[in-house]
Amino acid sequence: MSPADEQAHGTASTPGARGGPPRRTSRQWPLALWLWVLWIVLWGSVSPVVLVGGAVVALLVVVLFPLPSIARRARLHPLWLLLLPAHLLVGLVGSAVAVALEAVRRGPRVRAAVLEVPLRSESDLMIAATANMASLTPGTLVLEIDRDRRRLYVHALPARDAREVDRRRGEVATAERWVVRTIGPAEMRKDPNRRERGYGGEGERR
Amino acid sequence: MNGLVQTALEAATAVLLLCGAVFCLLGGVGLVRFPDTVTRLQAAAKAQNLGLLLILIGAALRVPLPYAGLLLLIAVFQLITVPVLGQIVGRIAYRTGAVERHTLTVDELAERLAPPDAPDAGESGGGRGRGT
Amino acid sequence: MVATVALALLGVTAVLVVHRLVRGPHALDRIVAVEILVTTVVAGAAVAVAVWDYTSAVLVLLVLALLGFIGSVTAARLAEEREDMR
Repeated sequence: MSPADEQAHGTASTPGARGGPPRRTSRQWPLALWLWVLWIVLWGSVSPVVLVGGAVVALLVVVLFPLPSIARRARLHPLWLLLLPAHLLVGLVGSAVAVALEAVRRGPRVRAAVLEVPLRSESDLMIAATANMASLTPGTLVLEIDRDRRRLYVHALPARDAREVDRRRGEVATAERWVVRTIGPAEMRKDPNRRERGYGGEGERR
Repeated sequence: MNGLVQTALEAATAVLLLCGAVFCLLGGVGLVRFPDTVTRLQAAAKAQNLGLLLILIGAALRVPLPYAGLLLLIAVFQLITVPVLGQIVGRIAYRTGAVERHTLTVDELAERLAPPDAPDAGESGGGRGRGT
Repeated sequence: MVATVALALLGVTAVLVVHRLVRGPHALDRIVAVEILVTTVVAGAAVAVAVWDYTSAVLVLLVLALLGFIGSVTAARLAEEREDMR
């Protein structure tokens, strides 16, 4: 158990907040922007027709098919977003080399572990992003997501002894830290032990 | 000067393509040699995934800009979809017994799923996210 | 030269993957193998794009990568349902 988990014992968060926030079109601008960029990349040109047409189509999609807002309190931090690809590449190279070494040296006699990792995040977006990061960067693969108890169950690959198991746990915590840095709400970024609150969820302990 | 940049780009492409192919091969080796589904999945999600990314980046350095954008778009989709597929397949593999328990040094999910008297430890957890 | 070596390595990869596809033993192993086979094909085609300028293949690659993902997820879900019915 990490200190983060100890500290947040007894979190009584407001129930029922997960249901559905009002669908506000004005909150959907990141989606519209993404659709617009996608349109331009797929057409492969920046002629005025493509630019204007893409903007019109993106706005129409966002207005006609509104999605429930999943990122109510997410704040995008551009600096960390720019650093993220470099971090991903370094982490991916490291884990790929580790897995490849394991495949060549041990093969059938590989030792792995299934670990339970507590999360600080609570919202769907943060948990999904953390699960994605944890599967990409370190030597772990997310098997199960326990949404209510805020736990990830990860398969960790080179895990022969307690020291390696601890290192894999630390890698998942690092993945979550990167998610918090990039899209996390302000109060989580300031305090490294703070858990995300106010999304409902039981906040219980085992 | 322009020729120098050209040569550097070609050299970078060659290195990236070769490294990518080597990582793909190592992923294939892992797929054959690893003992159970989830470890094979690790080989696929790590080594093979990185191999494809390196090859896509290498190719993107060589082709005209619109096509480079498309190749990088494939790379971005790959980064999003591989963990999702890994989680779906890994979850099903664990639950259907496709994990060789003797390869595990620690198994904390078994403790979580095992006790039938625990209030919400079964298959029924409705709030369990699956990424779909 | 680079293309020959890279494509040869990818060819060996494809053979290894097909070996796993035939051996199984679990349906999920085969699903993972098919997914990697698709990735290997995408990688090989990307090498061809880089070396011989087959730029028209790039859109096909995009579609192939996405279809491979959707297909694998569907197959995995099917495998899960079959296990549940047993």
